[in-house]
Amino acid sequence: MHKGVLNVKYRWGVWLFFFLFLGCGDDESAIPVDLTITEQVILKEELGVVTYAYLPQYSHTVSHTRHHALVQYLRKETGLNIKQIFPDTFDQHMKMVGQEKIDISYSNPFIYVKLAHRYGARAFARIVEGMGKDQFRGQIICRKDHPTIQTIGDCRHKRWIAVDSTSAGGYLYPLGHFMDHGIQRTDFKEIAFAPGPGGKQEKVILSVYAGKYDIGTIREGSLDVVSGRIDINKIRIISVTDPYPGWVYAARKNLDKKSVEKLTQAFGKLDFNHKPHREILEAANFIRVIASVDSDFDAVRQLTAKVGLSLDE
Amino acid sequence: MRPGFRGKIYLGFFSLLLIQGLVIFLWVSQVMKDALLEEIKTREISIGMNLSARMVEPILAMDFLRMNVLIDETVQLGDDIFYAFVLDKTGNPLIHTFKEGFPVALKTANTVSDTQKGSMQLLDTGKHLIYDYAVPVFINDNRLGTLRLGFFQTRVEKAVQKTMITAVIILILTILVACVVVAFLLNPVTKSIQKLHDSSEQALRGNLDVRTAPMLEKNCWDIMQCHRKECPAYKNYHHRCWYLAGTLCPTCVEGEFAKKIDSCRQCKVHKKCSGDEVQSLAESFDAMTLSLKGNLSELKSAERVLNEQKALLQTILDAIPDFISLQDHDGRYISVNRAFCEMLGKNKEEIVGKGNEDLFSKAQADRYNKEDKRVLETSVPLVKENRIAGQKGIKWLHVVKIPVLEAKDRVRGLVCGGRDITQLKAVQQQLTHAQKMESVGRLAAGVAHEINTPLGIILGYAQLLLEDVETDGPIYKDVTTIVKQTKICSKIVADLLKFSRSSESIISEFDIHDALEEVLGVVEHTFGLNHVQIKRVYTENRLRMKGDKEKLKQVFVNLLNNAFDAIGENGSISIHTGFGRTPDEIKISISDTGHGIVKENLIKIFEPFYTTKAPDKGTGLGLSVTFGIIKEHKGTINVFSPPLSGEGEEQGTQFIVVLPSGLNTKKGDLNGEHSRTG
Repeated sequence: MHKGVLNVKYRWGVWLFFFLFLGCGDDESAIPVDLTITEQVILKEELGVVTYAYLPQYSHTVSHTRHHALVQYLRKETGLNIKQIFPDTFDQHMKMVGQEKIDISYSNPFIYVKLAHRYGARAFARIVEGMGKDQFRGQIICRKDHPTIQTIGDCRHKRWIAVDSTSAGGYLYPLGHFMDHGIQRTDFKEIAFAPGPGGKQEKVILSVYAGKYDIGTIREGSLDVVSGRIDINKIRIISVTDPYPGWVYAARKNLDKKSVEKLTQAFGKLDFNHKPHREILEAANFIRVIASVDSDFDAVRQLTAKVGLSLDE
Repeated sequence: MRPGFRGKIYLGFFSLLLIQGLVIFLWVSQVMKDALLEEIKTREISIGMNLSARMVEPILAMDFLRMNVLIDETVQLGDDIFYAFVLDKTGNPLIHTFKEGFPVALKTANTVSDTQKGSMQLLDTGKHLIYDYAVPVFINDNRLGTLRLGFFQTRVEKAVQKTMITAVIILILTILVACVVVAFLLNPVTKSIQKLHDSSEQALRGNLDVRTAPMLEKNCWDIMQCHRKECPAYKNYHHRCWYLAGTLCPTCVEGEFAKKIDSCRQCKVHKKCSGDEVQSLAESFDAMTLSLKGNLSELKSAERVLNEQKALLQTILDAIPDFISLQDHDGRYISVNRAFCEMLGKNKEEIVGKGNEDLFSKAQADRYNKEDKRVLETSVPLVKENRIAGQKGIKWLHVVKIPVLEAKDRVRGLVCGGRDITQLKAVQQQLTHAQKMESVGRLAAGVAHEINTPLGIILGYAQLLLEDVETDGPIYKDVTTIVKQTKICSKIVADLLKFSRSSESIISEFDIHDALEEVLGVVEHTFGLNHVQIKRVYTENRLRMKGDKEKLKQVFVNLLNNAFDAIGENGSISIHTGFGRTPDEIKISISDTGHGIVKENLIKIFEPFYTTKAPDKGTGLGLSVTFGIIKEHKGTINVFSPPLSGEGEEQGTQFIVVLPSGLNTKKGDLNGEHSRTG
């Protein structure tokens, strides 16, 4: 009897512990794997590939986003095994053209004249941007609230950040524009170029936006790229350069002419009014690709000479 | 051994904290383990997603250096990251962190589809459990490859282990701190309880001078700025003023604690000085013992008085010759006095608690029980006289039984009082006898007076006739007989007249020795002829008195003749004289060596016409006349048979006559007594 009473008396404790520790379990199953069997990773180079590179004006992601559909279109249209590759810098892009690692180069006119001059690349097509222009301009920007810069003349003795020394819209055209306004390179307190690979247009805008530099030079249309990241209303366009020929497709030296022909034809077929093509063209940020020849870029060669830049540098 | 109060509290706290700690330890650790796993998974997902995003450009650029840097940096983020690698679209590894080559099994161990954000899979390498997280690397909708990250699950175990150790340390520290805190809080309580316990034990042992509460720190006289030394609370460091009666504060209500506490609670002294429950308990305990001490002192005083009264009452009861007993409602004796004990021949202890059936014979007990029952039931007192015949003779007891009323209509017991009235009864008998004698005397005197005259005429005519007849004739002899018998009748009549004091007394002053000698001069010769000697033991003092010498001589003649008749031959008669208790009393003792008087007859010897002699030897009036003469002289006569010890006789009879000398006594104060002793 006494024992029974004790059992009843302490039974609640047993139940309490039972409920308290009911959830203490681990029933997650594991898949057995054997880590002892290994292999060495060896990359095999793919043969018969036509490489396509977009001058790393923006980040690879932007480059990929803009040109992936176009590349897929060209693959399908030409039957060539076209593959987009992503050089990190303008110099790397140019060198890879020279090394024949890039078969089709999509670059700005300044780079192109250098590629043509140094590595014998030849233009075969150029783009027509929005509004039907086949030329583009450079822009000089500063913070809207900059206390001393109102006109282009106020840029004298200021800190200037440009996209790259090989950039057309981001350096060459604005430099010519400054010189047309009597401002020499030596008149600036500092001339800097956007650091690192890719995304240089964005870096220039962000540097000005942050106040690190007084003025920046970018190609026309770049502000739209960063509109989602900063308030572009706080950026003022001080001045816009004269228009020059737009971006150009160039074939490396020794690329077979058939391929160039196929490519030219494929580009020529792109019709902005055709919905699938329009999606491709909108992604690439132009509306049409037209055939081009090397002489279309003589104006650029003249500007380069005017500002005193060498095509060998 | 059962744990004490402190032990139980400690045990309770310890058990509570231990249970709580174990619950926290086991349950929370499980929760924490789950949370850690979740956190690791979340972290893994976060790292994976982040790395996946960062891996897009290197993959696009096929920049193996950057890819390598990225996965190396990721692996170095923490010890728990086992590996990281990137598979291309076809599922072949692009880059990995394995130094000994890429484990083939990992390729397909965890897959993720294009529609999934990621896939988590627990892998068992045999040595470790690994959380493998696969996240696809996308650029827009184009999948570039798959990033895989491996995290040790053992980190969770280590974290849980660390947490367990921390929890155990915290638990131990908590228990220690709790014990210290409990000890700090409990010590005063347990000490107070222990002190209360000790004090209560002391109180139970009779020591009421206990000090349970601590010395007072704040005192009423300081707070009230009081200097009234006559106040019982003044300078009383051991008792709070509200427990003390008779305090002199103007705001105090008179009376003890129960009357004044409501008023005291409003007082600032109470508000400032009242402590917690334990202190109040100790203080009230002290006050209680103080009050108890006072009450006990009063009780002891009352008990002492009561005992004194009881002893006094018992002394009085014992001193009373009457027996007294107190019985309860059941008839049991509760209390008795000494006389009762002596009557029963038992001591008090043998009587108290017993009933009638234990102390008396069955018949007596039945009778007494019936009487007791009637008194108890009716509440009517009982008064009676008991005649008890025992070995020592017959006793008469006057008994009163009175009910003791407890309430108006309820009888608690009864008091029985009794008195030995044997002597009173004897005196009553003597009084009755004396009255009878007086009546007889009066009757005899009347008869004698009426008879004396015709008897004198008969005697005179008989003597005249005797002179007329011849002396030798037959008539002379007859007349002589008539004369003789008539003289006897005259003698009887004369004695009757003497007995009834009808004769005249001639009072004179004389010496009692002279009266004795005159009597002895007549009878001594006759006694001597029968060899009965007279021993005179006279006092040297002269014993003069006033009285009727002749009547007293008659007394002595009667006593000496009775002594002589009792002796017959060869004996002695001793005559002692002297003063009685005072020089105004004369004591004469006449004792003989005769056959004595049987006890039954002692009471009758003074009755008229009672005689043990032959019919022609005595009239039975001698001692009656003697008694009458002594009574007339206001004296006493006592008879002892055998004589009183110290008189030198072992048998015989002794008459002791005590007469007032009458020289200093007014006439008419004499009142005779007699008594008999056998």
